[in-house]
Amino acid sequence: MKLPKKAVAVASALAMVGLLTSCIGGAPEAERAAITEFPDKWDDEITIDVFDELANYMGVQEGWFADVVKKKFNMKLNIIAPNVAGGGDTLYNTRVSAGNLGDLIVVGKGKKLDELVKGGLVSDSSPYYPAMENVEKFDTAVTHLNDGKDGVYAFPTSVSSIKPTEPSEGIDPTFGPYVRWDLYKQLGYPELNTLEDLLPVLKDMQDLEPTAPNGAKVYAISLFKDWDGNMMVTAKQPTTFYGYDERGFVLAKADGSDYQGLLDDDGEYLRTLKFYHEANQLGLVDPESTTQNYDTMWSKVQNGQVLFSWWPWLGQAAYNTDANTAAGKGFELAPLKDMTVFSYGAEAYGAGPVITIGSKAKDPERIAAFIDWLYSPEGTYVNNSQTMGAAGPQGLTWDLDDSGQPALTELGKQAFIGGEAEVPAEWGGGSYIDGGSTLNVSAVLPADVDKETGLPFSYKSWPSYQELVKTPLSEDWKAKMGDAPTTMDYLKDNDQLLVAPGASYTPPADPSEIETLRNQVKAVIVQYSWKMSFAGSEAEFDTLRADLQEEAKGLGYDKVLEFDMETAKAQNEAREEVAEKLG
Amino acid sequence: MREYPASRGAAGDDMTSQLVLQEVAATELEESPATEKASRKWRRQAGGRRSMGMFLCIVPFMVLVFVFSYFPLYGWIYSLFDYRPALGLSGSEFVGLQWFELLVSSPTQVAQIGQVLLNTLAISFLGIATSVLPLIFAVFLNEVRAPWFRNSVQTLTTLPNFISWVLVYMIAFSLFSSSGLVNNILNDAGLITQPLKFLDTDQNVWLTMTLWGVWKGLGWGAIIYLAAIAGIDQSLYESAKIDGAGRFQLMRYITIPQLMPTYLVLLLLSVANLLNNGMEQYFVFQNAFNKETIQVLDLYVYNIGITGNSLSMATAIGMLKSVISVVLLLTVNWIAKRVRGQSIV
Amino acid sequence: MSNTTFGVRRRGGGDIIFAITNYSVFIALAFLCAYPFYFLIINSISANDVSALGQVRWLPVDVHLENYAQVLQLNGLPMAAIVSIARTAIGTLAAVLASAFLGFMFSQSKMWGRQFWYRFVIITMYFSAGLIPVFIVMKTLGLTNNFWVYVVPFIVQPFFIILVKTYVEAMPESLQEAAEMDGANILQIFFRIFLPNMTPILATVAIFSAVAQWNSFQDTLIYVTDQSLYTLQYLLYMFINQANSLAQAAQNSGGNLSGIITAATTQTPTSIRMTVSVLVVLPIIFIYPLFQRFFVKGIMLGAVKG
Repeated sequence: MKLPKKAVAVASALAMVGLLTSCIGGAPEAERAAITEFPDKWDDEITIDVFDELANYMGVQEGWFADVVKKKFNMKLNIIAPNVAGGGDTLYNTRVSAGNLGDLIVVGKGKKLDELVKGGLVSDSSPYYPAMENVEKFDTAVTHLNDGKDGVYAFPTSVSSIKPTEPSEGIDPTFGPYVRWDLYKQLGYPELNTLEDLLPVLKDMQDLEPTAPNGAKVYAISLFKDWDGNMMVTAKQPTTFYGYDERGFVLAKADGSDYQGLLDDDGEYLRTLKFYHEANQLGLVDPESTTQNYDTMWSKVQNGQVLFSWWPWLGQAAYNTDANTAAGKGFELAPLKDMTVFSYGAEAYGAGPVITIGSKAKDPERIAAFIDWLYSPEGTYVNNSQTMGAAGPQGLTWDLDDSGQPALTELGKQAFIGGEAEVPAEWGGGSYIDGGSTLNVSAVLPADVDKETGLPFSYKSWPSYQELVKTPLSEDWKAKMGDAPTTMDYLKDNDQLLVAPGASYTPPADPSEIETLRNQVKAVIVQYSWKMSFAGSEAEFDTLRADLQEEAKGLGYDKVLEFDMETAKAQNEAREEVAEKLG
Repeated sequence: MREYPASRGAAGDDMTSQLVLQEVAATELEESPATEKASRKWRRQAGGRRSMGMFLCIVPFMVLVFVFSYFPLYGWIYSLFDYRPALGLSGSEFVGLQWFELLVSSPTQVAQIGQVLLNTLAISFLGIATSVLPLIFAVFLNEVRAPWFRNSVQTLTTLPNFISWVLVYMIAFSLFSSSGLVNNILNDAGLITQPLKFLDTDQNVWLTMTLWGVWKGLGWGAIIYLAAIAGIDQSLYESAKIDGAGRFQLMRYITIPQLMPTYLVLLLLSVANLLNNGMEQYFVFQNAFNKETIQVLDLYVYNIGITGNSLSMATAIGMLKSVISVVLLLTVNWIAKRVRGQSIV
Repeated sequence: MSNTTFGVRRRGGGDIIFAITNYSVFIALAFLCAYPFYFLIINSISANDVSALGQVRWLPVDVHLENYAQVLQLNGLPMAAIVSIARTAIGTLAAVLASAFLGFMFSQSKMWGRQFWYRFVIITMYFSAGLIPVFIVMKTLGLTNNFWVYVVPFIVQPFFIILVKTYVEAMPESLQEAAEMDGANILQIFFRIFLPNMTPILATVAIFSAVAQWNSFQDTLIYVTDQSLYTLQYLLYMFINQANSLAQAAQNSGGNLSGIITAATTQTPTSIRMTVSVLVVLPIIFIYPLFQRFFVKGIMLGAVKG
């Protein structure tokens, strides 16, 4: 009787230890043998939780993309989207503190990722990495990302074989001065030497069309309030026409040739505020700007009540419908002579978000296989966001034509040009648009070239598509622009594009003191920026400017600026380095 | 409130009597009646058998309260750390009172917080001042004779309560923006030439915010008083009527005094909420022009990103607010006890 | 009914003036409160691009029901409706019974530690521990991804308890004395005498609780990832929150807008949000009148007194 008793004691002690270690969680599991190949078939169906900081949809993925994933991996995706949930990091914090963020995680690199690794919330994919053939093509980026970590914890996103000194955007830049081309044309394409030249032109355009078709009054410029962060968002945009982008309170030029404090007297930010102020004096600014949100402004653009846009993805996306462009109406880029538009270079080691596997993942091997697939040509066509030009599954929305060139199928045309298409039952059925991937993360950059076709993955860059979407509007624009095939081509050819080399730079997180100061200062900056734009007179504008500078300084603006300046310079060093190494 | 003869304590041979006996025995052992105070307690124990039983009936509920409200308070310790959930408390840096100090780190900041507190208190006091409106609403609605009319009004006036602030703002935008309905009407009538700025002005922000609040909460808040009116002993009215009381006398001498306990309790509870205005309403209505006067504490905390970025700072502020609220509650309660001779809680 | 007793009184000139004033004021108030809801209804059935501009104010423009069709076709809507109804029914029942009982018990000055425990409960209205510790408690108790997370934390609600207690204290003492005289124990007194006589305040508590349960979505958001436990409100919240998610993404991006382009080009029309709002409020409007009869049934306590 003695021995069994002892055995029981030992066994239970072992069990206790086992329990304890499993409770501690972070403890390393038994070394898993590395695998070199994923199975083709997965027996039991699983549903994985995908914590995705980029997603704009919450819930189980449906439609044709779900069908593809189900067939390939016998897996369903339950998307958890903090952006939809709202409340900042609430969802992240609660889930992390409970020790399980999700099975598949899309999260920002830098401090967040480092903490997740340190806290044992994401797992090391080293055992599966040898089997991940598609990811391996981007091994440099993977290695760079996991530098200093003991294993392969994360996979980079938006990777490509494009040089970091080349734009990551496809055929349209991110920023640019877009105007209602039809009205601009009626004025005889007046020359625009610099930003301020837009004012009289916009004024004339507004006079040409004082009321929109819906009877509402037209204002050349309509601003909105709900995106404001470090500064008034709409006031920063024109600075990008001159190659600047924000790094906290610093406006840094893409080529590292200039750094400005946001509140510098002769800086670009104050120049823009002045621009809006003058526009407002001329009656060009929608008086509802101060109280409206993005969605209201968007509807106004859609209804033809606005004549100027900082982005193609606002003006063109909202207004350039089939009916409008056929009538020659629409937004197109109106180049300023002195502009050098900021462009994000292709990130050499991937963009900000990364993909990782949760430490409590149900079936890490299958998730690794899924991740690997996202980097395959098939995954790239299928998974990327539709607005970025993901072509969808080959055979459904596109296929190679007789000459081996990719072209949209009838269904593809219906979906991408018509805006909606019904998916046949064998592909899962339902609406094509609604059934697209809700991950909203590009593993491979859509602008990257598919070796099979020799053309970018994004259908928007295919010659066959360009041919399809010719309109009187685009033809007129091209004719005026020296027959440039696309906006991007025009900017490149005329040296009006300033590419910030994609160094995959991660800015350091604000130390808590800076963070607190910043939060106070930015609120003041936003508030005064609006007041200045709508100041009743030049004298009032100047008073407000002085007040802003004084109050911001009182709250610690200089200290934050100093911190941001260092970050901006470090960012530039990284850019120069990567340009030299890979450019 | 009521005294019960001791003998009746045994009357209820309720289900918990076994437990009660044990429990009483335990209490008796614990308390040695040495001091006079204790001995008074002891004497009351004579009728204490049933009172202990009553307590036992509510124990399960007290456990719920403890588990969901008190136990999580251990989280307040986060306010002394730079808490990063991924690293756990042990992996987070201890920072002492840093978060509390940050709140008052520069004169400009102190001035800013001063303005925020001013807004908070002003809007709270206006809210308290208007808290009598639902009562008046209920009293007068009770005078309406036609049941269908009374019910319709009651239903319709609760509607705004169900419209989220985001949509309220959309409605407000449609009616009061520079091309909104009100401006259009005024303009057409030739009363104005320039659109009036209702939404983007720093004039009367406290008042307008209070009015929106009244509009949204009036009908809903009156429900409590309508219920209280329904509970008034009808014989009171009858005897008053026999004495020849008129409508307003009935209101003044019966209805309103009967509602007073409810009103006072709600009033005192809201005083303890001085610092808590919520933020949604102010968030949707805020813009660069009214920010100065609309920024209440909850919105300020949200605006400067505290809730999003630093859990510890959010905890510190939540803690401060909690402590102030509880202190306010106890103070108000103490005053009520002094004035009315009866405490609220 | 409280007023029928006065109904037979003679009506003098003053009464008529009073009645006219009273009715007019209430009509005005009702209009002020009903119009915005009407506004939502006409906008939800008007052409989306017109309503987005806030120009639909008196009559609908280009009437269509596509918004309703779109919302009602949401995936998982029937299941979510069942969950919502279940949580509202069960949660309200639990809250009403618990509030009635606790409110009554706290009015019993003889209860051991009454004052202390009452304060113990009430004070919880004024502090909160923050989300994370509460989340961990829920998780430890196995309440995450569990239907009971909609019910258990809402059983004890201080505010309701205060309402009931205040109400009970306004009831004549003779009620309880008479029952005690008959030898009833405390539970019998509660169930037989007080519970049936508390209907107005319990109806109030029921309405408050039901509306709170019906409208709640934050708890689903934080504690539930299992789709079969989604509530209606949560589903609708997710559906209409795209515009907010855009602003959130823009602010998180630290100025780098390249990441939000993908979402910026899709917008949830304002009218869809209004549709959702109308759909959510309608059930409340239909059910509320059922409760109203409890408000007018004044109890004739005089009878008990004798």
